[in-house]
Amino acid sequence: MKNETTLDDVLVTVQDLRFSRGSRLIFDGLELKIPRGKITAIMGPSGTGKTTLLKIIGGQLKPDAGSIEIDGQDLGSLNRKGLYTLRQRMGMLFQSGALLTDINVFDNVAFPLREHTDLPEFMIRDLVLMKLHAVGLRGAWDLYPSELSGGMARRAALARAIALDPMMIMYDEPFTGQDPISMGVIVELIKLLNDALGLTSIIVSHDVQETISIADYLYIISGGKVIEHGTPEALGRSDSKWTRQFLDGLSDGPVPFHYPATPYQEDLLGKREAAS
Amino acid sequence: MMGSIQSLGRVGLNVLERLGRGSLFLFNTLAGFWSVLKRPRLLIAQLFSVGVLSFLIILVSGLFVGMVMALQGYNTLIDFGAEESLGVAVALSIVRELGPVVTALLFAGRAGSALTAEIGLMKATEQLSGMEMMAVDPIHRIIAPRFFAGIISMPILATIFSAIGILGGYLVGVELLGVDAGAYWSQMQAKVDWNGDVINGIIKSIVFGFTVSWIAVFEGYDAIPTSEGVSRATTRTVVHSAFAILGLDFLLTALMFD
Amino acid sequence: MKSKSLELLVGLFMAIGLAALFFLAMKVSNLSSLGQSDGYQVTARFDNIGGLKVRSPVMVSGVRVGQVTDIEYDNERYEAVVSLELDGEYRQFPDDTAVSIFTAGLLGEQYVALEPGGSEEYWEEGAEAELTQSAIILEQLISKFLFSKASDTIEE
Repeated sequence: MKNETTLDDVLVTVQDLRFSRGSRLIFDGLELKIPRGKITAIMGPSGTGKTTLLKIIGGQLKPDAGSIEIDGQDLGSLNRKGLYTLRQRMGMLFQSGALLTDINVFDNVAFPLREHTDLPEFMIRDLVLMKLHAVGLRGAWDLYPSELSGGMARRAALARAIALDPMMIMYDEPFTGQDPISMGVIVELIKLLNDALGLTSIIVSHDVQETISIADYLYIISGGKVIEHGTPEALGRSDSKWTRQFLDGLSDGPVPFHYPATPYQEDLLGKREAAS
Repeated sequence: MMGSIQSLGRVGLNVLERLGRGSLFLFNTLAGFWSVLKRPRLLIAQLFSVGVLSFLIILVSGLFVGMVMALQGYNTLIDFGAEESLGVAVALSIVRELGPVVTALLFAGRAGSALTAEIGLMKATEQLSGMEMMAVDPIHRIIAPRFFAGIISMPILATIFSAIGILGGYLVGVELLGVDAGAYWSQMQAKVDWNGDVINGIIKSIVFGFTVSWIAVFEGYDAIPTSEGVSRATTRTVVHSAFAILGLDFLLTALMFD
Repeated sequence: MKSKSLELLVGLFMAIGLAALFFLAMKVSNLSSLGQSDGYQVTARFDNIGGLKVRSPVMVSGVRVGQVTDIEYDNERYEAVVSLELDGEYRQFPDDTAVSIFTAGLLGEQYVALEPGGSEEYWEEGAEAELTQSAIILEQLISKFLFSKASDTIEE
């Protein structure tokens, strides 16, 4: 396609992904390429399985069909040990933060270091304070997750996600439910960390403005398939009705305002007949 | 008619599927034994919240069960002029049955439900998922220490229950009702067998500890990650544990004391 | 600091558990007497042992000196074979000591009673008692009494 040129150095390749939950088909032949060292955003309306996609890339869910390749390794052929080694190089920021609630912020950030390295405690302390400093929470190291605001919890979780200096970070709806100030902080942080640490970032979101402002590449998915992809500028010029509706936030368009239903008139009149 | 047969079949399939998932989960948990050995601190922390925190309720219940047994037993035995056998009656019923069974039931209510709720909430708040993404296996890191702490705590708690129950029986029988202290202890010693009664009671409580811990951690891990799902799983832990304890008790008793 | 006190409490919990186990072993169960394995075995044959059970006490002059460890039936001689374990401190039973089965109280349990004889030789490990008296069965006693009464009346 027209933007294929930017996809020369690919970290993650998703091919012909099919996944269903119960009888509901969530992905139906999804194709994605995530460029290395860039911020890639995957956008789409709620309920299109964006979080599911991250869990599949993280190896927590197994696809029904299709292949996922991360840094040259085929996810489906990895054994448990291989998968866990790969995950040490991936970070994931959950919507809720997913901090461990019974230990404080410091121990949360130290958790992956203590689990995966044999570093002495004084080095862990320095590393944790550096990561916390990077997200601006060095002073909050002794707070417990229940004492943090939503934005602070997400920043603390971000510090934890970068604790092992991963090659990529996946953000699950990082902007949802944030006040404008902490939203700005998180947008800034994602950009900063990506550039400073040479990370590959995958953002899953439906917050159009914030996402477009930092993303290098966009995928728009709906109905289990990629509808359109390209750089934000390219997509901004897109004349696809669907893309326009999503990016401009129009209430009616290819995605109807109304959930599929029997005709309005019939519903109202039919009810009255049944009642009388 | 067809509908009810269909739904019966569906229920049966669901039960089998859960059993299968539960067994796989159990194998994974048992495989976590080595990682628990490597991290004894995790086990100690769980021994505290599973075992030590159940200590008081076990102590008080054991004391009162023993006291009631002595009171009831005395009233029955005095009719036969056999009140000297009070010690035997109290000790045998507590060591063989009440110790393991009542401890297990209390344990399911006190520690089992707490385990389920804790693990279920960790699942609902994506803490387990987050741990997996940090390449830390939650079954080894979270589930296994709790499971093994349950297995270790149960026989200890049951032993404490039995000992304190027999002392409670002594308080009521000897100090209050005036049974001869020598008869209370010597008859007990003559009739309570170390292998046949005490060890079998401990074996029972280990089996109960295994079962209740398994049910509790599995229900938490398998809970639907919503507040309602967790509350249902907690209820299921207590109910299923109670059924399992009583059913297994019958089986084990039939096997042990023929 | 926090984890230290945690460990201390868990340790205390374990210690209480061990103490309870020790209590069950020494004060409640027969492990304390099981431990003294310096006892010795004697067997005795009876026509009828009544309600005697394994672990029934063995008494002499009302003092407990051992217990029944095994009860078997000899197919060839049609007798019950009872093994007794006598405590090591009571080694001076003459080999003509009489072994009987009595009942403690009306509803009470049955026990083995020893009555030392006058022999110069003592029982040793594995000895077999020569003089035994079977349990008294209440029904037999009553029917005997009734028959003798009946025959008495007929004679008169």
